[in-house]
Amino acid sequence: MNVALVGVSHKTAPVNIRERLHFPDLRLPEALSLLCSRYEFPESMILSTCNRVEVVTYAADPPEAVRKIRDFLCSFHQVPYETMREFLYDFTQVDAVRHIFRVAASLDSMVLGEPQILGQVKTAFSTAQSAGTIGSTLSLLMNRAFFVAKRVRSETSIASSAVSISYAAVELAKKIFNDLKGKTVLILGAGKMSELAAKHLASSGVSEVLVWNRTYQRAIELAEVFKGEAVRTEELFKHIERADIIISSTGSPAFILNRADGERIIHLRKNRPVFIIDIAVPRDVDPEINKVSNIFLYDIDDLRNVIDANLRQRQREAQSAEEIVRQEVESLLNHSRTRDATPAILTLREHWEVIRKEELAKSRKRLGILSPEQEAVLESLTQSLINKMLHGPTSELKRLSRHPANDDHIDAVKRMFGLKD
Amino acid sequence: MSLFLLRITIALYSIGLLHSFLTIVTRRKTLFRVALIGIGSGFLSHGLSIVYPWIEGRQPPITNTHEALSFFAFVIVLAFLVSYARYRLDSLSVFVFPLVFILTLAASLISSPPQPRPEILQSLWFYIHIPTTFLGYAAFFVAFSAGIMYLIQENELKRKRPQAFYYRLPSLEVCDDLGYRSLSVGFPLLTVGIVAGALWANKALNQPWGWDPKIIWSLITWLMYAVLIHYRLSAGLRGRRAALMSIVGFIIVLFTFIGTRHQGSAHSFIQQ
Repeated sequence: MNVALVGVSHKTAPVNIRERLHFPDLRLPEALSLLCSRYEFPESMILSTCNRVEVVTYAADPPEAVRKIRDFLCSFHQVPYETMREFLYDFTQVDAVRHIFRVAASLDSMVLGEPQILGQVKTAFSTAQSAGTIGSTLSLLMNRAFFVAKRVRSETSIASSAVSISYAAVELAKKIFNDLKGKTVLILGAGKMSELAAKHLASSGVSEVLVWNRTYQRAIELAEVFKGEAVRTEELFKHIERADIIISSTGSPAFILNRADGERIIHLRKNRPVFIIDIAVPRDVDPEINKVSNIFLYDIDDLRNVIDANLRQRQREAQSAEEIVRQEVESLLNHSRTRDATPAILTLREHWEVIRKEELAKSRKRLGILSPEQEAVLESLTQSLINKMLHGPTSELKRLSRHPANDDHIDAVKRMFGLKD
Repeated sequence: MSLFLLRITIALYSIGLLHSFLTIVTRRKTLFRVALIGIGSGFLSHGLSIVYPWIEGRQPPITNTHEALSFFAFVIVLAFLVSYARYRLDSLSVFVFPLVFILTLAASLISSPPQPRPEILQSLWFYIHIPTTFLGYAAFFVAFSAGIMYLIQENELKRKRPQAFYYRLPSLEVCDDLGYRSLSVGFPLLTVGIVAGALWANKALNQPWGWDPKIIWSLITWLMYAVLIHYRLSAGLRGRRAALMSIVGFIIVLFTFIGTRHQGSAHSFIQQ
């Protein structure tokens, strides 16, 4: 597959380099048409995100294409190639295919398995489509890449675990309560962090939000955001047993909840579990409370540990994802090789069809006038001769073309039938 | 024929067992479809192997050790399929199928030629006594598995260092709920089983209650589960303690089922 790719990413270049090569959305159509007109690429697309800038083209001569893309990138952004050289990478043919699959499947992302990249690749593809720079090759390649990304997502757990503090909190809550529907969250201390965590919990189905703050007014304000309920200090311990999840981030210098409180709460709740997220520094909740049965306390470091474990989990899953990519690269190559063999088969058939017609005409002259039955017999005789003769070479061409090592044999077949151009 | 079907069953269950483990280890949900096919078709051929002697005109095959093991394995698979339909927990299969596999294999190895059944066992109450007791035990086994899953997952969450099990086991809520529901199905079944046993004994032996070891242990089992259910309902007993009690409960069940087998009692009819 004659594809060439040149780009920079978070792996090769710092942000100040990436931003110099970045294509703003508005300038993409202009850049694409330039690739088509001045650089004469029949097909091209540009992926430009905050983590990577990549230009993909279809070209008969990939090494030449790489040089042209480099030139395009530097002249479009008016940067000297010398300053970019060390940051740019390039891939051609199989390597380019593999790279595109890995990018779409989020195996090359800063946060392994993050879901945004697939959407960005899809947008880049449709931008190029509307700019008219997508033909059959890139279309086949990109649709395949989307399919690979989908396979990776559904067949591995690469994206199933949380990698941010708020999502880790939601994930843990689900490991305790399974479904957050009907659950109540109590926010202690109305800060930015607690608001964010509560937002994620609320969008995961939590039905009731209670807010307590040292100043009651602020509690009312935050409660309004979640259509929740502000709790007064005098009533805090009356309401605390309602909470399935407690997010604490007060500025208190001492613990506001200790083990005895925890035991009392669990008793009042008839052993229904409580998940306490303590994101305050210094901490609000005595770590001893975690020893109370059915209470699960996570402070900010614990949440970070969960994220680290999740990232390691993603790395393990990435290995099976890489295997999927490997399979798909191979299957795409086989597919495109069979396509490559098709013209040879067609020419072969046309070539013999011409010969058949010529010979038939010659014989007719000698035979004189024939009955329609005799015509039909002659026709089917010659046709089936050709079919029988070409059956072997045709299927052999198809079979050989599936493996790159057989290119020589294909050439030999072509030469044998005088098809070598 | 029955034994042949049982061997096919073992082969199918081993496919299910293998793919259950593969699903859990690799976390590839697609593999579990294979496991389910193995389990499902194994269940069918298992059912046939049990029904076959019956339609041949003999009595339901639940009286000697071979048949008891096979039937017990069968109802455990039934319990698994029912809870799978409700909870979709692939992880449960990892707990259920090693036991099912061992029971079925043991049943096929100690299979004996059909023997004339003692007159004493041919009673309607007897045919209620065995299946209900076994179904109850199977439900308790599911509760036991749920209890183990609960303890492992709770340990992961309390230690705050997620490892393999954290990702693979269901949430605490689901484990707890599954345990509770299994108990609330198993307990009435065991109760019916014990009552039917007593009625049958009354009719066959003219005494409703013989104090043989199996009966004593069954009573202990029953009391244990009665206490557990009582506290769950009245005092909100749940979580860790409930899980522990379900585990202990099933260990007593195992002891009742296997441990008291050869102690010479009113329950060892075939050995006599």
